[in-house]
Amino acid sequence: MTPPSPREIAHWVLGIAILFGSERLGSLIGTALALPVPGAVVGMLLLLIGLMIYGGVPRGLAKVSAQLLFLLPLLFLPAATGVFFLRNLTLSDWLALLAAILFGTLISLTLCTLLLRHLLKKTDTAHSHDQ
Amino acid sequence: MISEFLHSPLFALPLSICAFWLGVLLYRRTGTVLLHPIVTASLLVFATLHTLEIPYSDYQSSSGLLYALLGPAVVALAVPLKQNLTVIRRAGWPLLVTIAVGALLAPAIAVVIALLLGAGKSVLLALSGKSITTPIALALAEKIHATLSLTAAIVVLTGVVGALAGPPLVRCLGIRDERILGVVLGINAHAVGTARALEISALCGACAALAMGLCGALSALVLPLIIGT
Repeated sequence: MTPPSPREIAHWVLGIAILFGSERLGSLIGTALALPVPGAVVGMLLLLIGLMIYGGVPRGLAKVSAQLLFLLPLLFLPAATGVFFLRNLTLSDWLALLAAILFGTLISLTLCTLLLRHLLKKTDTAHSHDQ
Repeated sequence: MISEFLHSPLFALPLSICAFWLGVLLYRRTGTVLLHPIVTASLLVFATLHTLEIPYSDYQSSSGLLYALLGPAVVALAVPLKQNLTVIRRAGWPLLVTIAVGALLAPAIAVVIALLLGAGKSVLLALSGKSITTPIALALAEKIHATLSLTAAIVVLTGVVGALAGPPLVRCLGIRDERILGVVLGINAHAVGTARALEISALCGACAALAMGLCGALSALVLPLIIGT
């Protein structure tokens, strides 16, 4: 493995700066306009619009983002661990929760699948009529 | 002296990193979604804290650095979203409609089931973020005053259930279209589902990443308005 060139490091720093900058800007806009949306999500949408205008993803930003998203489980590990320390939920709460997750996910999976298939079929037949 | 060390970030951070690293190793070895890194890692951290009698609040407050990186991680989601935007051009509005409907349907069904079974308000609030990718779900949980830990656990569990059940379920419905499988996994099983979709094919993964990003952004825009009232 060759050590990264100064050029590459500059790309990474730029990528990190873009991420933190977008988040700060998103939070500022969110608070200024008293938006109900989390500031980080505003930042994400700002960055998405920026990238669409720019017409691509800068190399450093792509690399830093991929790395950060790989580390994502580590970032929410402290929050996730807290579930083992929750004491204010009753047994019936837990059962309702597990049932909701299990059956809710299965039902929603099925409905989304059927809906998308139906919609895709419609457009496909519309396209074949065009031709 | 030792107890001070155990309650400082100098202990909490390496503990999290080691647990995560072991989790990743085990996940790669076994390749089953059931052992997603977060499952192993959170159990390891819990076992350590429990054995050393460290209060969770101490561990949590000394993990500030990790919490601080969640915001930039949300922003980073824009990158895969941009990279996979071309999928929309090919599948167009059916994709967008399904994502919009799914973003509302997934939490709504779960909340209704929990409501029928008589769950308390904290459970219902935490369930509303169920199928959103974790960093966005946590940011949202802060906004709507849901318990962060419960939200994180629900999101992880949903991801695992969705990623396990999704592919066989879609096959059972007689569907071979990888675009459909990808989108459905992205909507219902967020990052865990997207990782699963990437194993199936690049197209499937791209659809999942796109669905996950759009679904998360849409939920963050709409859910506070519904719950806030």
